[in-house]
Amino acid sequence: MTVTSTEQEKALNDRANHLMRQARLAAAVFTQYSQEQVDKIVRAMTAAAIENAVKLAKMAHEETRMGLTEDKVLKNLVASEFLYHQIKDKKTVGIIREFPELNIVEVAEPMGVILALAPVTNPTSTIIFKSICAAKTRNSIVFSAHLMAAESSNTTAKILYEAALAAGAPKGFITWVEKSSRLRRLSELMMHHPEVDLIFATGGTNMVTAAYSSGKPALGVGSGNTPVYVHKSANVPSAAMEIIVSKTFDNGTECPSEQTLVIDREVSEEIMHEFRRNGCYLCSEEEVQKVADVVISHTGGMNYKLVGQPANLILEQAGIPADRHYKMILCPLSGDLRHHKLAVEKLMPVLGYVFVDSVEEGINRALDINYAGGTGHTAGIFAEDDSVVERFADAINAGRIIVNSPTSIGGLGGVYNHLNTTLSFGCGTGGGNITTDNVGIKNLINYKRVPRRRNYVISFQTTKNIYINPGSIEHLKSLKCQSAFIITSRSANRRGHLAMVTERLPQDCHVEVFSDIGSDPEFSTIERAVAMMRHSKPDTVIALGGGSVLDAAKIIRLFYDYPELKIQDLAVNFLDFHHRMIEFPTDMKTQLVAIPTTSGTGSEVTPFAVLKDGHRKISLIDESLMPNVAIIDAHLTRSLPPDITADTAFDALTHSLESLVSTFSSDYTDGLALEAFRLIYEALPEVLKNPNNVLHRHKLHNAATLAGMAIGNASVGVNHALAHALGARFDIPHGRANAVFLLSTIEYNARIPSKFVSIPCYPLWVADRKYARAAQFIGLRDEEGGGGENDEGSRARLIVALRRAIYDLGRMAKIPLSISELGISPEDLEKAMPELVETAFNDMSVRTNPSYTLAPEIVQLFISSYPPRQRP
Amino acid sequence: MSQAEKVRIVGALEKGLDHIDQMLVAGKGDLELDFGACTFISVDGLEWLEELLLRSESHKAQIRFVNLQPAQYKVMKVAHIDSLMRACGAPGKDASAPMC
Repeated sequence: MTVTSTEQEKALNDRANHLMRQARLAAAVFTQYSQEQVDKIVRAMTAAAIENAVKLAKMAHEETRMGLTEDKVLKNLVASEFLYHQIKDKKTVGIIREFPELNIVEVAEPMGVILALAPVTNPTSTIIFKSICAAKTRNSIVFSAHLMAAESSNTTAKILYEAALAAGAPKGFITWVEKSSRLRRLSELMMHHPEVDLIFATGGTNMVTAAYSSGKPALGVGSGNTPVYVHKSANVPSAAMEIIVSKTFDNGTECPSEQTLVIDREVSEEIMHEFRRNGCYLCSEEEVQKVADVVISHTGGMNYKLVGQPANLILEQAGIPADRHYKMILCPLSGDLRHHKLAVEKLMPVLGYVFVDSVEEGINRALDINYAGGTGHTAGIFAEDDSVVERFADAINAGRIIVNSPTSIGGLGGVYNHLNTTLSFGCGTGGGNITTDNVGIKNLINYKRVPRRRNYVISFQTTKNIYINPGSIEHLKSLKCQSAFIITSRSANRRGHLAMVTERLPQDCHVEVFSDIGSDPEFSTIERAVAMMRHSKPDTVIALGGGSVLDAAKIIRLFYDYPELKIQDLAVNFLDFHHRMIEFPTDMKTQLVAIPTTSGTGSEVTPFAVLKDGHRKISLIDESLMPNVAIIDAHLTRSLPPDITADTAFDALTHSLESLVSTFSSDYTDGLALEAFRLIYEALPEVLKNPNNVLHRHKLHNAATLAGMAIGNASVGVNHALAHALGARFDIPHGRANAVFLLSTIEYNARIPSKFVSIPCYPLWVADRKYARAAQFIGLRDEEGGGGENDEGSRARLIVALRRAIYDLGRMAKIPLSISELGISPEDLEKAMPELVETAFNDMSVRTNPSYTLAPEIVQLFISSYPPRQRP
Repeated sequence: MSQAEKVRIVGALEKGLDHIDQMLVAGKGDLELDFGACTFISVDGLEWLEELLLRSESHKAQIRFVNLQPAQYKVMKVAHIDSLMRACGAPGKDASAPMC
């Protein structure tokens, strides 16, 4: 009977499907297991591996004829006992890690079906290691062993599977490919099988490359070529012994084992003496060539027939007579190391060496080896000088840089150090791998991150000392200052304000005045003021004036205290105050006293300062800008003309309403905003009717400060963004620019947003409710007697009433309520529109608006704010 | 399926359940397996369910799985067995292919 190749292929496919189905069902069932069940299984498997360590080592040696049985026993124990010790208490089911400070937990999800490829050099230990890791992580695993080690590998898998099954593991969670001449073909088929979730490949380069080429997620390993630097500070006899221990371990089959020694010449004699004394064969130059000819094949790779063979056999093959037993063969590598035939991986007890005259040369020669086929794998260093270890580790590209220990057993982890125990060495991108880990259970878990919503902490800050009530300017008499620098405008002298301040300052206080602050000052004005301060060296800055003066004084003080700062660095835009990249000074050296003479910006209690830069405005925001003292004395506002009184009052009114609906608003700012709104609504008409009435001026002055506190913490919104753009472009006073948009922005913000704002401190859009609340707070009522802010219809009617009240207030105050009322022609507006929209869109004020304002909506707001206003 | 016989699966489903096999053989018609009290499904249990569904076809009976707890529904999902998913009311394999 003959079997066709098609029939053979079908049989292989059937076999692959069968193995994968078993593994798939087991993976599904494994998802139900608890940590306790898993740990019980892992314990049973480990016990079985320990019990059979000697038997399996013998089998591996007999089958592969590589290495030493005694060392293979040790490897089996490392892969079981040491691994168990490391992982027994690790959580791999459910919540496996918690980060309380971040409000995040990690939950384990098994990877599913793992196809595991095992090498010929470590057949049983690799199977033990991967089986236990698979069980611990609730994955099922299908082994495809090396053909030359299939019997011992599969016996190992069977022993561990039976132990696991007896402990309750799912049927079929470990399976294996039986040894046959078609084993390699079956492995190839399985690499592409749809039920394979991960390929875990440990072995030769071809096999690892095939795994990576399968298109499946793969954990692979790179090839090694371990350089070991013996620095002159090393404990030389100990280094020599550790190197012998390592390189002879399992006859050099461990891929992290030493391949070339780089030895400081100062200790060369001593270490060579130690090697000779301890039974190593030191080759002459001629013998090196003979060794190289048998160890390295004509293609430049190692001769696989000598992998894991004893030193004497290699010497014999090289035609070098050996009169006794040698542990390993040492070969001096003369000439250019980069071209030496033996400067490659040799998984046998053959070790190259060179002498060097400096640390630099030592590291460079180590790099030559490191980058000759072993990048990312392993390196070693013997040195007591920590700085040399650091330099070496910084330069060498290796996933594990073993210090003062054998690199082979050291690389395995858990014996000489606290590296994770592994039989699979990730080499990072240097070796074509995704990780440099000692691959283990952590690499066999899908990590599900569960971040709880951030508890967004917002603070409330304002000026520490606020003196209120008419006459509070008297506080200046007790001000602690020896040298005051008064920053003000030219009108301050004319209105008598400057004298009110200077007369009250302590007698012995030196006073200088800078009165060149106009409306919306440029940075050149700031620089002039700072230069003047450098001469007078004040300990106190007194800002006396309207918003522009107060803002300018904040910036002047900042640059006086910290001359190294640059305005362009501080004006960087940001999305979230808590994450912004710029840093302001935390400690101001000069005292700032703010005395507002208008009732508008509230700058005396805010961390904001606005500066004009050509056609745009720059906003600086930081606690360091906050004045130390604010004096809220309404006497200073008595001479304010009606138009400026109205303009500034509408600025404060806009602050109150924008901070009320801001995404950063809080119970703290809401109270301030509502009260500020009420005071303005009630006091402004009275002030305009009777400008000299201090009581009403006082209420208006307080309102501006309260609204300042509200925006100082909750910020503003789109209305300010529009006003900043329009004001800068057409030179419109800030309060007036705000007023022309207010009726439009309330209408816009009161509608369900076309796009909600994504900000954690604003979980629910409530702008319409808050406008309705503001309406009720000033005594407006739903004419239809609805349920107020909690009733949708009533809310809408209250918002109309609110807009109507603001319209009436504006008309009474004779303040323009639309862009056209400012005298701007439609043509000029249209021409400026692209610039206005861009400026407004980039303004930080929009970030806290309750609706995410899209660019077309900004255009629409400019357009809707243009025609003369009609009563809503 | 409105006239389906209702059967509860209680505790761990670790092997085939004879009484359900017998109901199928007896030609009792469609079956509705209620997994509300099922706490675990083993590999043998899965294989039995798959066979049961296969046999139901020859008996011209429909079998439906209802009230699966998330842990057991996930077993069905991870097992990648189309007939089991269809018994849970899901569309066939093609419909659940990855979308991106």
